[in-house]
Amino acid sequence: MGKWGVMAGALLLAVVGLALLPGSRAPLSKGEPATPEALAERRGALIDRLVFTRESDPGRVTGLLASGSHQAFVQGIGSIPVYRRLRDTPEADYDLAYGSSVELTLNPVGPEFRDGRLNPFHVPAIREALHRLVDREHIAEELYGGLAVPRWLPISTAFPDYARLAETARALELRYAHDPAAAEATIAREMRALGATLEAGRWRYRGAPVTLILLIRNDDERRRVGDYLANQLEDIGFTVERRYRNAEEASRLWIASDPAAGQWHLYTGGWISIVMQRDQAQNFSDFFTPRGRAELLWQAYAPSPEFDALAERLERRDYADWAERQALMARALELAMEDSVRLWLVDRLSVSARASNVSVAADLAGGLAGSALWPYTLRYEERLGGEMVFGTPGLLTEPWNPIAGSNWIFDRMITRALADPPLLPDPYTGLYRPQRLSHAEVTVAEGVTLTRSLDWLNLDHQARILVPEDAWLAWDAGEGRLVTVGETHPEGLGARTRVRLHYEAGYLEQRWHDGSRRSVADLLLPWILAFERADEASPLFDAAHQPTFEAYRQHFRGWRILDTEPLIIEAYSDQAFPDAETLVAARAPQPLPWHTLALGILAERHGELAFSSHQADRRGIDWLNLVAGPSLAILRRYLDEARSHPQAHHSLPFAAALSPWVEEAEVEARFVALDDWVTARGHFWVGDGPFELAAVYPLEGSLVLRRFADFPDPADKWLALSRAALPELATEGPLVVAPGEPAEVRLAVTQAGEPYPEAALEGVRYLLFDGQGRLMAQGAPRPLGDGEWGLTLDAETLAALGAGANRLEFILTSHWVALPSFASHLFATLPADAEEIRP
Amino acid sequence: MMPRRSWGRDLRYLALYLLKRALALLVTVLIGVYLTIVVANMGGQVDDLRRVQIRSEAFEQVRADPAFQEMASAERNALVERRVALEVERLRLDEPFILRSVDYLQRAMRLDLGRAEQMHSDAGSRQVRAIIVERLPATLLLFGTANLLVFFSAVGSALWLSRRYGSGVDRLVIALAPSSAAPGWFYGIFLILAFAFLVPLLPPGGMVTAPPPDSRLEYAASLARHMLLPVAAMFLSSIFVSIYAWRTFFLIHASEDYVEMARAKGLPSRLIERRYILRPTLSPIITNFLLMLIGLWSGAIILEQVFNWPGLGSLLFQAIGFRDTPVIIGGVVIFAYLLAVTVLLLDLLYALLDPRVRILGEGRSGT
Repeated sequence: MGKWGVMAGALLLAVVGLALLPGSRAPLSKGEPATPEALAERRGALIDRLVFTRESDPGRVTGLLASGSHQAFVQGIGSIPVYRRLRDTPEADYDLAYGSSVELTLNPVGPEFRDGRLNPFHVPAIREALHRLVDREHIAEELYGGLAVPRWLPISTAFPDYARLAETARALELRYAHDPAAAEATIAREMRALGATLEAGRWRYRGAPVTLILLIRNDDERRRVGDYLANQLEDIGFTVERRYRNAEEASRLWIASDPAAGQWHLYTGGWISIVMQRDQAQNFSDFFTPRGRAELLWQAYAPSPEFDALAERLERRDYADWAERQALMARALELAMEDSVRLWLVDRLSVSARASNVSVAADLAGGLAGSALWPYTLRYEERLGGEMVFGTPGLLTEPWNPIAGSNWIFDRMITRALADPPLLPDPYTGLYRPQRLSHAEVTVAEGVTLTRSLDWLNLDHQARILVPEDAWLAWDAGEGRLVTVGETHPEGLGARTRVRLHYEAGYLEQRWHDGSRRSVADLLLPWILAFERADEASPLFDAAHQPTFEAYRQHFRGWRILDTEPLIIEAYSDQAFPDAETLVAARAPQPLPWHTLALGILAERHGELAFSSHQADRRGIDWLNLVAGPSLAILRRYLDEARSHPQAHHSLPFAAALSPWVEEAEVEARFVALDDWVTARGHFWVGDGPFELAAVYPLEGSLVLRRFADFPDPADKWLALSRAALPELATEGPLVVAPGEPAEVRLAVTQAGEPYPEAALEGVRYLLFDGQGRLMAQGAPRPLGDGEWGLTLDAETLAALGAGANRLEFILTSHWVALPSFASHLFATLPADAEEIRP
Repeated sequence: MMPRRSWGRDLRYLALYLLKRALALLVTVLIGVYLTIVVANMGGQVDDLRRVQIRSEAFEQVRADPAFQEMASAERNALVERRVALEVERLRLDEPFILRSVDYLQRAMRLDLGRAEQMHSDAGSRQVRAIIVERLPATLLLFGTANLLVFFSAVGSALWLSRRYGSGVDRLVIALAPSSAAPGWFYGIFLILAFAFLVPLLPPGGMVTAPPPDSRLEYAASLARHMLLPVAAMFLSSIFVSIYAWRTFFLIHASEDYVEMARAKGLPSRLIERRYILRPTLSPIITNFLLMLIGLWSGAIILEQVFNWPGLGSLLFQAIGFRDTPVIIGGVVIFAYLLAVTVLLLDLLYALLDPRVRILGEGRSGT
């Protein structure tokens, strides 16, 4: 035993020694100091290498950042203890995202359920009174530990509509401010009207206690929110049955059951948006009317005729101009509060954690994972180059292919770094900015309301837009040819919008990561494929694609290529968005390398692989994966075949349509380049973004991105958008105003200690409320320069307030960030005899 | 002639015995797998949950997609319905659960593990077999190393301790035995805190460095580094109770009359250990060893989660989260078959070593 024991011990020590080799713990390079010259010269990403690795436990985030092993985590973290640790750790920092909300869904059927039990929430006045019963500040600050902001309205407090309607919003918020006594009085009045009686402090109906069933989500902080709500309801005389359920169990009750069965009265709901919604007008129909969803709960909604009509008009975008839309929105907000089948409570904040020496643009709604600009802005502060490691809870969750591959947010975050889209959304406003376009022209037909915010596009109106006869309208999968508008609509075809996309000079000279030159076929093939996949006669038909495609066909009216140097594309559609920038982004085709798609098409045609999950399952084959797994061997076979038959008619898909855009030599060159790429990197994902996919390790759960040195743009192109330009507001003025005296209040707006840039300012407004929360005056303060504004409240205005505590609210909206900023100045107006009572 | 007849009779008894045991085990596996199917689907109630989930996801996808924003509500709801119908068809939720459960069962029993409903292997395959096979080596490596280390250390130490009954070390082991009440992952959390964060010597999780080193030696070193903490956690959580159990086992056997006789004859203690203690106790040791090998991954779910180890435990954890029935069934049926085969092998071993087992077993079954 002794000899064997010594040997085993020695072996163990050797393994431990090997494991602790210092070489395996080499620190990451932090690059070099960023000089202006180096920044101007550099192309592609600001760092050299980025490694993604699986890490799903938020509890370890702070430790890993502090140890320097990771530089950022892509998931939004909602844990309050982790948030606090991040705040207290010098090596860590974070960005906040506002994309999720918590609300209270009410069951509106009644006034009695099918079994005769009372449902007080059938009465709009009781629902409305709940707004005053709950203390949203308490929920945000105490229950969510500051990781939430109070929300009253059906529009997010972080999205542009809120800033546009800030005055209405603020007035409504004050009207429905926490006032439990008022809430209790209203509820008591309405309960008595329903026939209920208050006995020994408890509400009873037909001899039985009024018991409210509160469905409480127990899988996040909503458990505490539910308990708080239950306590408030119990305090005003209701008996509350708390039913704690997780998401699935709760959904069986609140969505899937008949609300008339009375299995619940209230539910602590929540919603998530990972992209900034610039138009939330649809929310009224979605959340307050039977049109929202087909489920029985929605069918039980009975909005007032005025509210219903308003919601429908907003849904159809039935307004003559922007001013009318704003007026409709303002009224709809008021009516939504009166209806209140839903009570929004807070907008939740999530935290994107990063090292304190790392800078990156995180999206205001989607955080780091939802940001389109992260690949262009990621760097060590004031440095260039270096390596980083990102932790992600999911990696390669589903197979990757650009047609119908993984849609997981964390996979999409990575693939976004590998592509170079024509436009990129601003992470702080949601407005699209040009990346590969020089400019665009937007023309809309009369009756279409559209606004332009940025100056890189022109917007004009035309009485009628006719689609040219030579524009492509469809693809005939049977005959394998493009179908023009002239063929299908000899009488002429109209459209509501026309977008002319002017690409930057040399766009078609730019290179894919494998060195291939970009071509028109890269733009055309994905479009043809969309038609093929929707055609039942095609071997590429995919039933799951059909519904989406049909929706596209309903508004699509044709497109054509006007020129190739520089590239100019014209697209026609009946679809419009409130923002002209969004319309351009929707019409701009996203190029995909035709040669990798060609291999996928061949594999699907031969029944070996399928682009979509649905098709793969239906045919019992593998879902096409360009980066790992069994797909690679199949694609390799088709690549070898294409290399041995490099003629266009053999290896170019839909050759009849694409060959005018692809030279014979290009076919061979593409497959040679792809062959070299696959041999070197072991995968088929060829992109054109600032990073290229250098290596994939599916089993070990990591992958490596490397800077694409041939990227056309300088690395500092988007650096100005690294941080949200959130203004900081401070007020200065008298705290007490004597009768007959005016008051002067000043507002200072800064960012990082400097006056807020004038170019960024959209507007500054003020609202004056009296002690009862009534709006007494509003307007714009006068600019004083250097980020300061002044407001003089004359004696007459102040006299109208009466004696008491008043509130002056400043609202600032910015072009650079969707989030409006607020500042309050509280002051007291003294009664007329104040001089006498003053000591 | 007598010996041949006796041998033939023994073989017949053995075959009959094994056949009955195999049938009994098959029925056990059948029941176990079907129970898993029913439990994993909550007796079919998961279908309702899934329908609600599918509908909600379809609605949210359509609602969030700017491409559908201008659609009228009725059109949008129709689009949602079509998406829901396709997903319901894909998951066969339009078929009664009882039929699907029987189909799951017969496929599982034939080891036709089929396709996962939601999950993929890391390499992107939807075949359940590929998903499991991909994760199996990581679990075998980690848990095999830890359990073998625990097993041999425990048996060796116990044998050594059995000769030092009542010594200080013996008393220490007895005192430390209750420390095994805490599972491995519990120790894991403290080890991570101590050696990954307070004194950052070792990685807090994962299987290898990201990205994995290119050279094999560096890869092995990285793997070893990543294994140290989880192996240490499992070792700590089971070593003392294992030593205590084996030590007691050996002490009992060491006090048998024939061992006392050997000692009285003055035989060397090592010979007594090998011939009079170890050899007669070989059957239970082998049984324990084999069951340990089969049960390697049974405690893996939480430990792999704590150490971010990409093994079968994490896989099952994900599968339960996704309610991916084929993957759950796949994991269970493989374990059930391995267990059944092991038990059958042990039955065979016992029957060969001890004729009373097969003969008595036959006699009992005949009554």
